Amino acid sequence: MTELTQFSLGYVKLTDAAPYIIAQEKGMFAKYGLNVTLKPQNSWATLRDKVEAGLLDAAQMLAPMPLASAIGASGGRKDIITPLITSQNGNAITISTALYDELQTHIKNDEGLHLSPNVLPLPAKVLKGVITKRKAQGLPKLRFATVFPFSCHYLQVLDYFAQGNILLDEVELLFIPPTSMVDSLDSADIDGFCVGGPYNASSVRKQTGVTIVTSYDIWEDKAEKVLGLTAKAYNERPEQFNLLCAAIIDACEWLKDVPNRFEAARILAQEQYLDTAIDYIAPSLIGSCLTLEGSTPRHIPHYNRFCSAFASGTSGRFALNRPDQEQGEWILNKLLTAFDSARFSDLSTSNVSTCFREDIFDFALNARIK
Amino acid sequence: MVCAVLNILLIDDNTVRAEALIQALEGSEYCVTHQESLGASLLKLVEKSQPDMIVIDIESPDRDILDSLHMLNQINPKPIVMFAETEDASIIKRSIKSGVSAYVTGNADLTRVRSILDAASARFEEFQELKQALRTSQYQLEAHKTIDQAKRLLMKKQNLDEASAYKAMRKMAMDSGQKLEQVSSNLLTLLKNLP
Repeated sequence: MTELTQFSLGYVKLTDAAPYIIAQEKGMFAKYGLNVTLKPQNSWATLRDKVEAGLLDAAQMLAPMPLASAIGASGGRKDIITPLITSQNGNAITISTALYDELQTHIKNDEGLHLSPNVLPLPAKVLKGVITKRKAQGLPKLRFATVFPFSCHYLQVLDYFAQGNILLDEVELLFIPPTSMVDSLDSADIDGFCVGGPYNASSVRKQTGVTIVTSYDIWEDKAEKVLGLTAKAYNERPEQFNLLCAAIIDACEWLKDVPNRFEAARILAQEQYLDTAIDYIAPSLIGSCLTLEGSTPRHIPHYNRFCSAFASGTSGRFALNRPDQEQGEWILNKLLTAFDSARFSDLSTSNVSTCFREDIFDFALNARIK
Repeated sequence: MVCAVLNILLIDDNTVRAEALIQALEGSEYCVTHQESLGASLLKLVEKSQPDMIVIDIESPDRDILDSLHMLNQINPKPIVMFAETEDASIIKRSIKSGVSAYVTGNADLTRVRSILDAASARFEEFQELKQALRTSQYQLEAHKTIDQAKRLLMKKQNLDEASAYKAMRKMAMDSGQKLEQVSSNLLTLLKNLP
């Protein structure tokens, strides 16, 4: 009997860890002769450090993390690459019910806005109106939290604020881990957050939060999570990593079908994975955005997207997963706008081609067992 | 009880290990306040208690909070020491240089935890000085660029040679009591808006 290829793979307990967990549970890793140990991580910083140090062979990463590593903005090494995009969308901004009530009062009183009550996605200009009013009343700044500086969440919050001309010094912006978001909103330590599933749905179900806008409303279909590893690790055993990617691509394809999504939610809910209620995990997976407890959910078919649904042919079907220059440059440009510092001005499109490895993706596609 | 010179904030969800660290530091100049992972309240606590050093479990979700603060320089920078049960910490320490000043590995290091913390503190000071020096030289480089740009634009718009353009700028600086760099920056704005 041939020995199985070993991998340790890090992930964070989020809904869009589905491709990694499904590849394990539905036998895709086994199909390619891989023995993968999934290792949940509590923070992105430690996940990154472990990948860089070789304690994890690869991990689910936030899409901006490989580019951020290229300039040594965090951690030490500079050679994190991504051969595979594993999801698009999936985040949302949820605010406290108290702030939501303030926004509704503003909509009701300001006839110039011409908005109907409970309009969703909530235009950022309403938030701007409330921020201006609070300032005039001498009330403290609103506090928002996102998960990590080099995350789509942070960049999406900045874009949402920009839509309403909300200046960064008009609010307080904190970084706290996803696991702390719901409690922090509950205890009024923060007024809103941008986070991935299952934390938006759980906040709505607990009746402490209202989801006012999804990341799909802010950026339509952009890379969210990627498979990250060091170039050094890849170069040591390229064929084996190609198989790892092939197995995860198969899992993404399995997740394409909505009927499979509920099954995925049941698996993710298990104690050894997200260890939380299926009530919190399932909605976004089946394209339902819970907004306000008691209201009809919004239908967002792409709320969690793992595979291009309607394109035909191999290249079209996996367009989402391909780490092409266009997807990389989108993130690069967002990073350059967000971090206006000398360190980032060194980033260029050549970093994109070093980090976003279409060549490996193609090897992986070819290595797939049909 | 009189608290010693250096206040340490210890963030660790493992109370047994935290207790061991506190014991190992008994009678030293380090005074430890232990907290489990806090989320948003950590920011308030750091702001309020202003610890001299933060020791955090490498597996704590709060690590992202500290990492972000460090990257964005949002609080007065403080030495951060990672605490880990397994040998992960020493492997990470060998392989990468992040914003972390030192790593303590579970029981193995507890006997010499004092010297690790002493070294972390020293290394941190050294790093801050380096960073300050780098910042100064970056600032000087930027200033030089601005001055050069203004000079070139002045040469073009006023049809001057390099020496005369520079002399004119020097004179403007002296007359207005401003730094040459400030004058250059004003000139750039002005000249760019002229036809």
